[in-house]
Amino acid sequence: MNAASTSLDAPALLGGRPAFADVAAEQLDAVYRYLVYLTGDRGAAEDLTAETFEKAFRSWRRFDPRRGSPRTWLCKIARSVAIDWFRAETRRRRREERYARDMPLVEEFGDGLPGPLQEALRELSPAEREVVALRVLLELDGPSAARVLGISQTACSTRLSRALRRLEERMDDVRE
Amino acid sequence: MSANEMTVERLLRAHAPHAPEGLRARVLASKPAPVRRWSLPPRRLALVVLPAALGIAVTAALVNGLVRSGNHPSAVQHGSAATAGATVTDSFSTAAPPATQRVGAGAAQSYKLKAPETPSVTSSRLAHTDASLQIRVADTHALSAATTRATQIATSLGGYAKSVDYRTPRNGDGAAYIELRVPAQNVKAAISRLAGLGTIVSQQLSVTDLESKLETQSAQIAQLRRRVAALRAALADPALPDAQRVLLQIRLAESKRALAQRLSARKGTISAGATARISLVIGTEKAIAPVAHRGRLGRMLHSAVGFLALEAMVALYALIVISPLALAAALVWLWRRRSVERLLHAS
Repeated sequence: MNAASTSLDAPALLGGRPAFADVAAEQLDAVYRYLVYLTGDRGAAEDLTAETFEKAFRSWRRFDPRRGSPRTWLCKIARSVAIDWFRAETRRRRREERYARDMPLVEEFGDGLPGPLQEALRELSPAEREVVALRVLLELDGPSAARVLGISQTACSTRLSRALRRLEERMDDVRE
Repeated sequence: MSANEMTVERLLRAHAPHAPEGLRARVLASKPAPVRRWSLPPRRLALVVLPAALGIAVTAALVNGLVRSGNHPSAVQHGSAATAGATVTDSFSTAAPPATQRVGAGAAQSYKLKAPETPSVTSSRLAHTDASLQIRVADTHALSAATTRATQIATSLGGYAKSVDYRTPRNGDGAAYIELRVPAQNVKAAISRLAGLGTIVSQQLSVTDLESKLETQSAQIAQLRRRVAALRAALADPALPDAQRVLLQIRLAESKRALAQRLSARKGTISAGATARISLVIGTEKAIAPVAHRGRLGRMLHSAVGFLALEAMVALYALIVISPLALAAALVWLWRRRSVERLLHAS
């Protein structure tokens, strides 16, 4: 799981602060993927990605490469933006007297992802999907992912194992 | 990690979603805010700020100690040998008031000098003299004799003992606390004679000018008298309307009351100037502990420690004020964190 991160994940090697345009170009897909997995809604993920980068633009002067990679920093911003979105969605659904389980997840998580895996991802909670996104798709290491999620590394690993096991079980069911 | 898990991961990575081109163009069109050159993460900032604050606090305490240790000790109760026999001269030669002049003689010289010179405070102006002496005697017999003698000295000089508190709680030890009143002109003689009762441990003489206070009071009295006379003259007019008469009578009564108050206050001022107060403590060796003499370093450290204690008290007070707010903030943070967890775990 500790796969090599992109060059922007290793600020120490860069020896300074990267240019924002480079960071945005490099990390856009990562942030978008994370938000697709977290929200389960591509349209929302698109808006939230744009909002994340807007926030990042405004607070770029506060970014300190010594404290973490740009990807980790952007994911933290994206998570905060997504949580606001979840809250707003919950309120909206309450107003409309609908429940969270009724949320339509008609969109695909991945481009051309096999149907069973797609279904399995839909069955996961947003918290499980986001850890999968951070560790598998974005290839963040354990401490960085835990920092984004605001939990311990152990809790992060446990959550990831549980999520992957559920996905695996679902795939096994389909194979059988 | 099982083979299936790896397969799942491979599949997820292979089919990861890509940001639409429209979104890419939208994001890359934005411009970042200017970079702030100097910044420190909160933890590092705390690591810098806390020791810096501590350093400033200690430095401030040391500077305070250094400044205070430089002050001449005669200005405070604990005198030193250097102040023995200090004389206040021409203390009231200027019209500017006032002032309290203080002279102390302390423990360091008290063992060498049986009767240190009493400062000469002579002035034609009205002034209140306040003296305090600590005298050590050998035993309770000497204490009893000295107490009696002290009251006799006051009486012989035209004064009196206002209070005498004689205590001998333990065998061989005891102390007498005596409040004497003597005519101001005899205070020097009284102190000289009282000093002969034993060994002086400390003495303090304080002279406060009352002349300006007296002048102010006299001016107020003169003004009130003029007002009373004017009001009386006005009231003597038979043509005065009744309503106005009542008003003037009220004013007259108020002026008379104020006049009486000012007269009483002036009498008190004159009395304070005419009589000197001497607080005398006579005690055996254990009852009167000699005042410890500190060197400059000792005084500096003493002041610095006192200042540090004051700083700690202020910090503690701030902590007490801030802690409920911090607790509330922590609870809010915890509640928000829990709510986020609930939100994201709902599948």
